[in-house]
Amino acid sequence: MLTGVGGEGVLTAGVLLARAANLEGHYVRGVQLHGLAQRGGTIPTFVRFGSEKELSSPGIMQANADLVLAFEPMEAARAVFYARKEKTNFIINDNPHMPVYANLLDVPYPKMNTIIEKIKPFAKDIHIFKAHEMAKQELGNTIYGNIILIGAAIGAGFLPLKEKNVKEAIKITVPGDIEANLKALDIGIKLGKKR
Amino acid sequence: MKTEVLENAGKKVVLLGNEAIARGAIEAGIGMAASYPGTPSSEVPIVLSSVAKKCGFYFEYSSNEKVAFETAAGAAWSGVRAITSMKHFGLNVASDSVMPVAYTGVLGGYVLIVADDPEGWSSAQSEQDTRHFSRMARMPTIEPSNAQECLDFTKMAFDISEEFQIPVILRTTTKVSHSIGTVKLGKIKKPKTKGRFKKDFERYYNIKPNLQMLHKKIDKKLEDIGKKYSNKFNKIIQGQGDIGIVTNGVCFEYAKEALQELKIKPPIAKIGMTNPISSTFISNFIKNKKTILVLEELEPIIEDYIRLIAKEANPRLKIHGKDLLSRAGEYNLERIMPALEKVFKKKCDINFKTHQTKTLSAQKNLPPRKPVFCQGCPHRSTFYAVKKVYGKDAVFAGDIGCYILGIFEPYDMGNFCISMGASIGIGHGITKVSDQEVICFVGDSTFFHAGMPPIANLKFNDGKSPLIVVLNNDITAMTGHQPNPGSGVTGMGEKVAPVVIEDVAKALGADVKSAVAFNHKQLVENLQQFKDKKGPRVLVSNGACRLLTKRQNQKKGIKFIKFKIDQNKCKKCGTCTNLFACPAISELREKKGDVPTYYIDPDMCWGCSVCSQICPYGAIHPIAPKTVSKKNGK
Repeated sequence: MLTGVGGEGVLTAGVLLARAANLEGHYVRGVQLHGLAQRGGTIPTFVRFGSEKELSSPGIMQANADLVLAFEPMEAARAVFYARKEKTNFIINDNPHMPVYANLLDVPYPKMNTIIEKIKPFAKDIHIFKAHEMAKQELGNTIYGNIILIGAAIGAGFLPLKEKNVKEAIKITVPGDIEANLKALDIGIKLGKKR
Repeated sequence: MKTEVLENAGKKVVLLGNEAIARGAIEAGIGMAASYPGTPSSEVPIVLSSVAKKCGFYFEYSSNEKVAFETAAGAAWSGVRAITSMKHFGLNVASDSVMPVAYTGVLGGYVLIVADDPEGWSSAQSEQDTRHFSRMARMPTIEPSNAQECLDFTKMAFDISEEFQIPVILRTTTKVSHSIGTVKLGKIKKPKTKGRFKKDFERYYNIKPNLQMLHKKIDKKLEDIGKKYSNKFNKIIQGQGDIGIVTNGVCFEYAKEALQELKIKPPIAKIGMTNPISSTFISNFIKNKKTILVLEELEPIIEDYIRLIAKEANPRLKIHGKDLLSRAGEYNLERIMPALEKVFKKKCDINFKTHQTKTLSAQKNLPPRKPVFCQGCPHRSTFYAVKKVYGKDAVFAGDIGCYILGIFEPYDMGNFCISMGASIGIGHGITKVSDQEVICFVGDSTFFHAGMPPIANLKFNDGKSPLIVVLNNDITAMTGHQPNPGSGVTGMGEKVAPVVIEDVAKALGADVKSAVAFNHKQLVENLQQFKDKKGPRVLVSNGACRLLTKRQNQKKGIKFIKFKIDQNKCKKCGTCTNLFACPAISELREKKGDVPTYYIDPDMCWGCSVCSQICPYGAIHPIAPKTVSKKNGK
């Protein structure tokens, strides 16, 4: 399950993973819940790959995700519906987006520790990366954060996809600077391996 | 994102259901596609529009679904394969022409894509089941379950349409249109783009006695199509036991997986052709069963039909469906599981109730994330000005488009939202019987779609009249930036002279004013001049969709001028956050109760400048462009 806020590249990341899995020879299913995505709402995206016999539903059943790839910390906490302790790993991008209405309602954005405490009962393992910060530092633009995060998930061993297929998927999916995106993937994989 | 829709035949790619439909149409050799966008069907025209030139077929964004349906019908009458696509409400608009064209039939294959939206992910009107329309229009209807079937069924629909000379409906739901799946591509047929309309009074003039003749003809066509083709779309998955499942669309995909979770393998009948439903297929499947569970979203159309057939085929059959599952909302694995558990007396390993209680308590106290106007959105500026002049007591008549987002706090400026253009018609009705001020918000695309007749009606039946604010952002924004008659560009990317909203409104008899959406003073002045007047008044607030401008700027390498808050001048009044509510501006507090610092995130600011115009203390200024480029260069 990929989740985040509109404009972070969650949809592109989902398509990228789906295409990488297809290149690897898997049967792929998934669903994008967009509509109001670009306008500040939450966008959960499901990507599923495996054998055609086993998977047919586009969405993941509750408590049944293998991996939650959260581009935004609070959205990771909202994803626990699809997670359970025996099964689900969390990769979280430490790049909080304050919702506009939190200002108005005076509900403070939760601290990272609070978020982790909320997720813990539903997580096998939690890894936190500062992918967008890393992207800005290393590549001069936060837009590469989503690829770094995917790399981190692969590096940490939570996404069983071959590097070469993900790279090929980047080439056929991402608009703009392919080289920078490939570099972002390398940075992410290294980051994930360090864990 | 790069598309894989035009990849070579034989290749396996991952496509969205809607992309697969578009590919199916291209493989079928369409010569014409016409559409008015409506989510969840929007990606069909988005894809067709982007490849039309390359593939050599004609594509257009029409001004509404009725016009789109008619345009494609004209091509199909002239022997060219044609497609149109719309969401369920689009079919309501088009239906006046859909019904008679079903009677007249077509020459070139004609496929009508209709995407229903159970749960209302992208619809704020009603949940609606197109299969009722299919029966009313007497049109054959097929329903794919996944992306591969979206492609295959679309292609087959063209063949059937041409063989029987009748338009065919391909119906999807949100989770078929918006789900991705592995698809094996087929060969692309060279499009036939030229045809000729052959005069035929008996066929194209639905007056009696032609009418009854055509009615009998369509009934016969439907019967023959059912006999010949329903087995190509319906299928049986063999299994054990005397409890069977009958299902359609995406529910088939849910059923297969849910049954795996329950570790059972009952027989499943999948209905791919839902109009007509084959009585032989149903009666063969139900005759040796004790119990049937029907899994279908929205209306119990298959279920009711089974009840009818069972009277003869198996009178003691127990039929479950809407007694265990709701007509409202869409289905998913969680929603169908309790019904399966009950009918098969099995338990899923995961206890959903306990899990839901646990997850709900973990999510407590998380601030909600509601959709908002983008940073720099011209609508925010217009809504802000209208509220300033008219206060909060006016009736705010909403319409369909991004400006629906005006319903949320702090604007709270949408008191109803019914259908395209309805803000004006209903607003007119209110002013006829009430002294209240009524403000109707209509977008540019909505204006061309259904906004013109009610404005003409205001002049015709003159009185106090509501004030109409046209939020002209040059594009149909919410469905993904499709051009409309005011955009100055066609669906094939050709530049044309735009139809000017101000001119049209004037011609319809309204008093018209025009303002720049990013000029707060100008908006307020115009609104004030209109305030105490009577009669049809139209204020056109012009400002391009900021998201579109951002994308265009990115391509040209242009950067927005960013704004920042002078902390020495800021009096912390909260106008920019609590009243204007731009997502780029936040109140930063160390802890609850602290006096906040106001801050504009330079990465998020899209430079509309309106915050600097409305700040009562003049504390917001542009950052000199040089400083920005230096910062980015670091």
